[in-house]
Amino acid sequence: MYGGGNTFEAQQMGGVENEDPIKLAEFEARIARGEKIEPNDWMPALYRKQLIRMIEQHAHSEIIGALPEGTWITRAPGFKRKLALMAKVQDEVGHAQLLYSAAETLGKPREKMIDDLLSGKSKYSNIFNYPTFTWADSCFISWLVDAGAIVNQLANSKGSYGPYCRALERICAEESFHLKYGHHCVIHMATGTPRQRKMMQEALNRWWGPMMHFFGPPDKASVHTEILVKWKVKMATNDECRQQFLDMYVPKIWELGLNIPDPNLKKNPETGEWEYTEPDWEEFKRVINGDGPCNAERLAVRRVAEERGAWVRKALLKPEAAYTTPLA
Amino acid sequence: MQSLDPRVNRLPIPESWGELRAKTPLDQLETYEVFHQAKPDKAFEHAGIVHAPNDDMAFLFGKEQYSRRGNTCSGIWTVATHKVMVTPYTEGDTSLYDLFEGEQQHAAQTEAYEIFHLKKRGKQHVHAGTVQASSYDDALAVAQATLNDGKMVYNAWVIKSSDFFKSNAEDVDMWNTLYEKKYREAIDYRAQDKINQFKEEQNLQNHG
Amino acid sequence: MDNLALKELLYKMADDQLILGHRNSEWTGMGPILEEDIAFSSMAQDKVGQSQQLYILLNQLGEAEPDTVAFMRNAEQFHNCQLVELPNGEYDFSLIRHFLFDHAEWLRFEALSNSSYEPLAQLARKYKGEIKYHLIHANTWIKQLGNANEETLARLKQSLHELAPYALGIFEPSPYETQLISEGIFIGEEALKARWIESVNAILAQTALGAFNWSASNAILGGRQGKHSKHLQPLLDEMSEVFKMDPTADW
Repeated sequence: MYGGGNTFEAQQMGGVENEDPIKLAEFEARIARGEKIEPNDWMPALYRKQLIRMIEQHAHSEIIGALPEGTWITRAPGFKRKLALMAKVQDEVGHAQLLYSAAETLGKPREKMIDDLLSGKSKYSNIFNYPTFTWADSCFISWLVDAGAIVNQLANSKGSYGPYCRALERICAEESFHLKYGHHCVIHMATGTPRQRKMMQEALNRWWGPMMHFFGPPDKASVHTEILVKWKVKMATNDECRQQFLDMYVPKIWELGLNIPDPNLKKNPETGEWEYTEPDWEEFKRVINGDGPCNAERLAVRRVAEERGAWVRKALLKPEAAYTTPLA
Repeated sequence: MQSLDPRVNRLPIPESWGELRAKTPLDQLETYEVFHQAKPDKAFEHAGIVHAPNDDMAFLFGKEQYSRRGNTCSGIWTVATHKVMVTPYTEGDTSLYDLFEGEQQHAAQTEAYEIFHLKKRGKQHVHAGTVQASSYDDALAVAQATLNDGKMVYNAWVIKSSDFFKSNAEDVDMWNTLYEKKYREAIDYRAQDKINQFKEEQNLQNHG
Repeated sequence: MDNLALKELLYKMADDQLILGHRNSEWTGMGPILEEDIAFSSMAQDKVGQSQQLYILLNQLGEAEPDTVAFMRNAEQFHNCQLVELPNGEYDFSLIRHFLFDHAEWLRFEALSNSSYEPLAQLARKYKGEIKYHLIHANTWIKQLGNANEETLARLKQSLHELAPYALGIFEPSPYETQLISEGIFIGEEALKARWIESVNAILAQTALGAFNWSASNAILGGRQGKHSKHLQPLLDEMSEVFKMDPTADW
């Protein structure tokens, strides 16, 4: 699960002034033909750096994203929900594994990526810094946060880097189960007993703000935007993703008789665009910079998990082992 | 730290942390390439990698990461990444075998090599066949003569058969219950009836 | 046929699988290595799934619906052995439990695949492959860590000593042993235990831990009759927290 919110570009980095113009032209021609770039192909340094950053943040979002829903694994009501939630959270861990692998093909070892997550140097999707108070919160995440992630991931899966596209294709296929499962849960809550309905409405009230944050603030054109679009690294703007999400899911929320806590939310019949109240972007920045309700807990849990597992990994390591960058 | 998550409250989270030490190299172990066979009559296909300490565990990990979803699986192969010989990639309408100029050695002592082809850029490497050869170069020369159907091959992986860990034919029952795990499939979560019923009730309440 | 004996057998198996699957699922998202996190979660799902199928057999014999049986009973109504309800501890503890339990599970299902009670025999045959993976997983890990270094050896040894009396509790005899054996439903706990000792020791002997002296260990019994450690009721309270908000609701 991943939003567009925090893939900051490598601002300090130079552009393509120092790249070999002939190789660069071949590289760009390949992308223009719709071919994928593979790990062994020549690529500009900016391309490599931006992709590592993006795929790594995506991977972190998966492994951290396993936590707020994991909260409800031991409490899921009934066999069907219990099995589904176990499998769903497992998938998120699996997605982290796939994405770390894709990032590794670009030359950054998994050790380094985990270090950067734990030290706070590298970010993950902001939405996972919010707590899941009731079962209904986990239903919201399974349906709508995953829906948002799929909008984003489907766009990225049309990008130019082969290993990332292949990982995303697998991830999107797996997440079709998450989306249906989440919708199924929300339908049962919203059409259930008055108490269930109330729980669902309250969860929606809590999560709508973070959900609007999910796709990130409106894009400001930065120095590299144009080139990253040309290289098919940046596939859609944050606002495009947000509009697509609203268009697909607001009617589905409304048909369940739930109220979205934004009186200004409506589709403009002339432009076809959704209008809404701007979410609190100051809060978004504050939470991204570490001051959200669950930032400390999320990183603490990851760190404890890493430290508790250290003796296991140490025991498994063979003296003759040697790291090789994975192939594809 | 008091959490809403009962699992987290059971974790030994310290009051304060020591300094964060960077992971040592290979803390995450080395990598293995994993190949997946969906059905007995299908070719093995590259699925991805796992980090693992050895062949046995690469299989344990690869099986769950790459065959737990989907309805069928009939085999998993794993091989350490550094044991894969990778040819150069070719471009456009130039096939790898158009450029390769090795000679078959016809040596007395040979062993089996597995050949994987990349037939379309952006896709996975797929098992093309097994050849008997005396070296990696010889294996590629034999593949050029016997596995080249004239279609595009952009890249090949040449791997000694003996370097693989291959799941046993008699263990294929490990995947027998995959198709029963419907709780992992989108198709098991249909609820349109419930929505329709809800809308009908709302209409009755509003207009009745 | 008198179903009491059969029901007792099914309940203890189902409860074992459910509670251990539940415990093992607590590792999801917190495992020692990403790949192992995924593998361990799959096995937890398998166990919960198997328990559900066993509760369905019970349902066909007149017991309540699987969800009701699993989510509405109190600790003293559960027939699982105490081994499965203990908190997870560190990974060595969870792995040793997985190893000890899954050998018993493998052998139990193997014996039941010839049971005269055909629905159970079918189920045992169906899950053979699934449990085979669990067994290979457990054996591989124990052999790996059991031959690694002093720290892992000390950890495994400690966990094995702590868990041994509980593991022997798996084989607490049922009041219906003779009936189950004479009717060809099951080989009986005593026979299973003998096979199990041979089976786990064959693996332990391949590690620096060496074969274990099981006769020096006293079984902790009671689980099969509803006597549990202090850990089971809180586990059940947590598991049923949402379900019990409204047991008639469709979640």
